[in-house]
Amino acid sequence: MTLKILPKKALPAWLDGLHANYRLVGPRAKQENFVFDVIQNAEDLRLDYNTTILPPKKVLLPQQETILQFDTSKDFHQVEPVFEDTPTVLFGVHTCDMHAINLMDQVFGQGYPDAHYQTRRQHTAIVTLECLNPCTEFCFCKSMETLSVPEGFDLHITDLGNVLAIEIGSGQGLTLLQHAKMVRDAGPKDYQHLQDVMSEKWPRFAYQLDFDITELPSLIALSYKTEVWDSLGDRCLGCGICNVVCPTCNCFDVIDEVDFDLQSGSRYRIWDSCQLDRFCSVAGGHDFRSSRANRLRHRFLHKFKYQPETYKIVGCVGCGRCAQECLVHISPVDVLNELYRRQVPFASIEQEVLV
Amino acid sequence: MNNKPRIAFFDFTGCEGCQLTVIDSLENHPELLEAVDIVQFREAMSEKDDDFSIAFIEGSCTRSSDEKRLEKIREQAALVIALGACAHLGGVNAVRNIQPLESVRRCVYGEKAEVYETSIAKPIGDVISIDGFIPGCPIDPEEFIRGVKRLLQGNRPLIPDYPVCIECKLRENACLFQRGKVCLGPITRAGCGALCPSLGVGCEGCRGLIPNPNITWLKEVMAEHGQSSERISAKMGLFMTNQILESEVIDVES
Amino acid sequence: MKPILAEKMKLLSIYQPSTMLVSRVESVTELEKLITIELPEGGSFQHRPGQFVEVSLLGVGEAPISISSSPSRTTNSFELCVRRVGSVTNAIHALSPGDLIGIRGPFGNGFPMERFRGKDLLFAPGGLGLAPLRSLINEVIDDRGNFGRVVILYGARHPSELLFRDELETWKERDDVELHVTVDRPDEYWKGKVGVITTLFYDIQIHPRNTVAVTCGPPVMYRYVIMELLGKSVPEGNIWLSLERRMKCGVGKCGHCQMGSIYTCLDGPVFSYSQIKHLEEALS
Repeated sequence: MTLKILPKKALPAWLDGLHANYRLVGPRAKQENFVFDVIQNAEDLRLDYNTTILPPKKVLLPQQETILQFDTSKDFHQVEPVFEDTPTVLFGVHTCDMHAINLMDQVFGQGYPDAHYQTRRQHTAIVTLECLNPCTEFCFCKSMETLSVPEGFDLHITDLGNVLAIEIGSGQGLTLLQHAKMVRDAGPKDYQHLQDVMSEKWPRFAYQLDFDITELPSLIALSYKTEVWDSLGDRCLGCGICNVVCPTCNCFDVIDEVDFDLQSGSRYRIWDSCQLDRFCSVAGGHDFRSSRANRLRHRFLHKFKYQPETYKIVGCVGCGRCAQECLVHISPVDVLNELYRRQVPFASIEQEVLV
Repeated sequence: MNNKPRIAFFDFTGCEGCQLTVIDSLENHPELLEAVDIVQFREAMSEKDDDFSIAFIEGSCTRSSDEKRLEKIREQAALVIALGACAHLGGVNAVRNIQPLESVRRCVYGEKAEVYETSIAKPIGDVISIDGFIPGCPIDPEEFIRGVKRLLQGNRPLIPDYPVCIECKLRENACLFQRGKVCLGPITRAGCGALCPSLGVGCEGCRGLIPNPNITWLKEVMAEHGQSSERISAKMGLFMTNQILESEVIDVES
Repeated sequence: MKPILAEKMKLLSIYQPSTMLVSRVESVTELEKLITIELPEGGSFQHRPGQFVEVSLLGVGEAPISISSSPSRTTNSFELCVRRVGSVTNAIHALSPGDLIGIRGPFGNGFPMERFRGKDLLFAPGGLGLAPLRSLINEVIDDRGNFGRVVILYGARHPSELLFRDELETWKERDDVELHVTVDRPDEYWKGKVGVITTLFYDIQIHPRNTVAVTCGPPVMYRYVIMELLGKSVPEGNIWLSLERRMKCGVGKCGHCQMGSIYTCLDGPVFSYSQIKHLEEALS
């Protein structure tokens, strides 16, 4: 893979070039936090961001998205799907979030492909960013094996101090880089520099899980009946923000809105959350997952068992956003380690019996 | 002949802010006036016609004479919709419900306490059956408009049953608890677009409780953030006195 | 197949309903109507019994409804038996012949007819559960020679809630169909059996190993019917259920109908008891 070098002082001009040709979206400050937003001025882009409140999935699956427009006033129904294809550069995506986007690509691409998501995705180039420091006390990317960039990026940037090392992941990435000036090929010194930065970064991240992620599906399956879920369910506020801030949650609801003629209007989808009361209610009123404990367990099973089984990708990328936002301090790391702790004595007893 | 649905607005005990919001909403949606006939609206017009099919009721029921008036509206209207927190929940008026009525009366009316009729503040749904509600103090104008359209379609207004936290997070606000403030967002019904938290003010719960709220643990959260139990009760009692009283009864029973 | 140039191919949305014509609206009970939907000219609609469609009333919303007609009896139309329970079904009830309606689907797996052939069939619908089973029962009746005994045990709450009364009569008149009907709460005119659906099992003798049982009804019913069937030694893999879930998108994306790792809309709504008995949420 070709490695390119861009002096940092050339970054603003590159961003301006991108902004002139694409919708440029990247991390910017919002009060004391960061959010992904359209970058109008190069100086607004904050590559030193820790994490964002919402993950970059909102660029590919907006919080609210019109999927159909209709007019039933004539003697035929006019129904038009709405696709969004603005050429977009999503700049500065952390590696965990890139893993999440790869999973979303699978979810919306398999079976019945979702052209609304796919159109956006096809028109979005992604520039990822190597994480050199843990973003918050809640992230556990190293344990989830998401601290390295996966395939799928168009460009991948590592901050080497005065210069940026840029890996090219696709032809589209190469096109993006053509908007930059002062780009040169990396020389031996640059490779050495990159190696040093990379080898220094790893010890800064700690393993947060007490076990290997390959054990997750079986650990979760064996933990189906544990009372851990009940005590978490007591505590859980059922507010659903763990879903909202999750980079892999993709559930949605669909709502119609009409104009006053009651005949024309639009159908849009909004993010939904499996932790909410009535997520599984049917029209007659029966709720098939009415307890918070069961809803919480479902969330964990979905991320750590069902998704790895279906897509060969773990449904949690260890970004830590849910733990950071949870008012009652429910953190996947704590929950998983607790489940593991409860499994260990059970396993060792079995072993003793076998011996 | 004019077949437009005939709509009437009524006010009981409240500040009339929701009616003002209705008038406001017409500014952005003048089409409403083409879609319906408003036949009674004391806040906005002097004509009055008792032939209506949809009644919006603002304000809580605080006197026995209110009950008769409500029943009469119910008899006439095919659809009765509670408009705003007072009609929906009892509203701020219900703060008095946790105190002895006599002392409330003395506090408000002083020497003339005997002259005025008053009682506990009830949501109108406690007196007559209702077909839907537009929550909030005041109501959200866009939600009101959407609600009217649903009614014209023959359906109830679609009001979210998820908490304010969802809308707050969708707008990418930092959690107010993390900024040293107190907020009822986790147990309060959304639909306001998290208006107050987005402006840095903790949710006061004006839209009422979500179904099955975890009040116990929200109290723990508030205590963890330095709130005394008196402050917590006061916060939860501003709009939701009646609902909290009810949920406590349910807790004791179960 | 002719190759289609990518740029000329119009993007299709999996959420876009096809417009179809309501050709007939019949009241079935106070709560249920039978809607006949005609395909546009040249339209094709091939469904299996047990599948469902997403019905769109543009401006109101969309709801999953099981197909109630048998593929053996319709070519360019199909029927939906719709109970009025929410805003979409409310709007469906307001439709008249000549109105247009949006349809996506058919979705879901449907009943595995190939596994039913040659077997004795025991149908146990409860209440509105007869709507999807009617599709299957008529399919079987129209191919009667390929199946063994056909027993129908139908339970409803009240005589006024019995669906398809005319059809029940025609089934009853056939000597190759055994129909037993019960109601929980009889009215003064009811002359038939009284009691919940499980009481009908007491008088039925079956050949357990050669019997396939199919049940559909309100959530509370399944456990009791399954208990009766297991009590008669029907193998778990021969007990089939059609489950109701909030199948909002119908295409495995929105997440609402998930039970364990299963998407009811894709992998179901028809399951054998052995497929779902380990899923705590399936029969909750």
